[in-house]
Amino acid sequence: MIPTMKSIPALATLLIAAIPSLSVAETLRVIGSTTVNPVVAEAAEVLREEAGLTIRVDTAGGSSGGIHALGAGRSDIAMSSRPITEADRERYPSVRFDSHRAGEDALALIVSHDVWQGGVRAIDREQMQAIYERKTTNWKSLGGPDRRIAFFNKEPGRGSWEVFADWLYGKAENSPPVAHPEVGANEEARTKVAATRGAVSQLSASWVDGETIHALAITGDDGQPVEPTHEHITDGSYPLNRTLWLITDGPPQGAAKRLIDFIQSPRGHEIVKKHGYLPPM
Amino acid sequence: MHALPHGRLTWQKRRPPDAVVFTCLAAAALFLALLGFTLILWVREAWPAIRAHGGEMLTSGEWFYRHQHFGALAMIYGSAVVSLLALLLAAPVAFATAIFISEWLPHTLRPWAKAAVEFLAAIPSVIYGLLGIMFLRTWMADWLAPFDPLSGDMLLTAAVLLAVMILPTVTTFAEDSLRAVPAAQRLAARGLALNRTQTIHRIVLPQAWPGMIGAALLGLGRGLGETIAVFLIIGRLDNRLPESLLDPAPLIEPGQTLTSKLGGPETHIAMGDPLHWGAILTLGLILLVLTTLFVSLGNLLLRKNPAHP
Repeated sequence: MIPTMKSIPALATLLIAAIPSLSVAETLRVIGSTTVNPVVAEAAEVLREEAGLTIRVDTAGGSSGGIHALGAGRSDIAMSSRPITEADRERYPSVRFDSHRAGEDALALIVSHDVWQGGVRAIDREQMQAIYERKTTNWKSLGGPDRRIAFFNKEPGRGSWEVFADWLYGKAENSPPVAHPEVGANEEARTKVAATRGAVSQLSASWVDGETIHALAITGDDGQPVEPTHEHITDGSYPLNRTLWLITDGPPQGAAKRLIDFIQSPRGHEIVKKHGYLPPM
Repeated sequence: MHALPHGRLTWQKRRPPDAVVFTCLAAAALFLALLGFTLILWVREAWPAIRAHGGEMLTSGEWFYRHQHFGALAMIYGSAVVSLLALLLAAPVAFATAIFISEWLPHTLRPWAKAAVEFLAAIPSVIYGLLGIMFLRTWMADWLAPFDPLSGDMLLTAAVLLAVMILPTVTTFAEDSLRAVPAAQRLAARGLALNRTQTIHRIVLPQAWPGMIGAALLGLGRGLGETIAVFLIIGRLDNRLPESLLDPAPLIEPGQTLTSKLGGPETHIAMGDPLHWGAILTLGLILLVLTTLFVSLGNLLLRKNPAHP
């Protein structure tokens, strides 16, 4: 039957009425950290093929974005490279944050190739503080080339930034208000540091290629530089190590439980290692 | 006294609204309702911040959400500088192209040229942004090396990228308003022994001018609202207000626009905190006001062209 002009309103009503019945099969929503993302994305792919699970993985807003999405009920699992804080619990009092370890990672302080070649191989906390507060603005004072320091700050709210600020100031809340050019996702930090002379930023150590970007060692109070290697993450001597988390509201159930169990299984550990992280300790 | 438009009146009286009219009315009502609903919801969510920080948002350049400072001035400055500069760069090229397509190009080639220009407008902005990250950032940093910019992320890079992006919009609208000048007038000018350049100068441009300015303003509106491409190359540095509005130094430094702020992760963090969330939405309202202003002005001028008296 060809619809006549007069039947258009009736058709429109029918169409609108039909929309709810078109809702798709239940999807597991995972939102958060770009650091945790490669592991979850690959695990989701495996579970989709083997168990027919529909899992949507999204990195909007990084770790904090993921935690807030979980708190607001917009996601089922938050991926995070920082632990849940008191502030998170206060903000979402009705949410029972339940954290599960997905792996271990080091946050590296990365520099561009020219800085590395210029002789800067290690940095200590005070030096980093001075860069962060713009008191040191040239690599020369760190034994490097005579070049301005281009510090790209990870966007506040990113897990990497929280871990970095906790290390630098004891607690992220104590960090002074400063303004720096910001980078968001790990991909962006990697690309921009690689393409900028005199650049330094914070980035997950497993994303460092050692050619265009390099990870600085961190000099401890004993004067010994410690590189962000797996060995130093395991023995805890590298100060900027961190756990990668999968966080749920209450104990995970159904598809969420399957995903977390899979990532914590030996097969999941292989995926974690493949992406350069350590399986949970 | 004027005669009543008799035919039309009887038509309206005799026939009840049929399905087509009814559907159109219903759709229009739905549209208005949605618009009103969105605006009410928007203002309501922004209200806590407007009430607590409204004045501060427009007069202060300090934005530190952890310390409850919500000054938007640096972002307004960023948005204004980047889009105005983009327009300044794009408009001469766009106008010249429009004049070429409208006045010089043979009839048969004109649709092809128009299609090519409009194709450029259809490229998703994230593609422009990625090309910007890959090439433009580096080129600009190398090119401006004598001035020692910190990196390729700067207001100027964003303006150049935005100029490329609004170029097709401005060109195609400017060309439309040139075309709207009746062909008979060109013929008459030819009859008066004016050559092509003189015709453009004396006959076409004086009439098409308001429309071309309108096209530029539409481009400005387009530039103000652009988010993702700017986000990727502007550096997202908060709180950088210049000492003077004419100071060129900030142009080769990173900055922040209203849209690059809105595109960042703070929107996700702000959710659930009425004040912070309200401040973020107020940024959107400021952007809405600015864009509406330029786009309406542009439309007004476009309508002034001779084809629509």
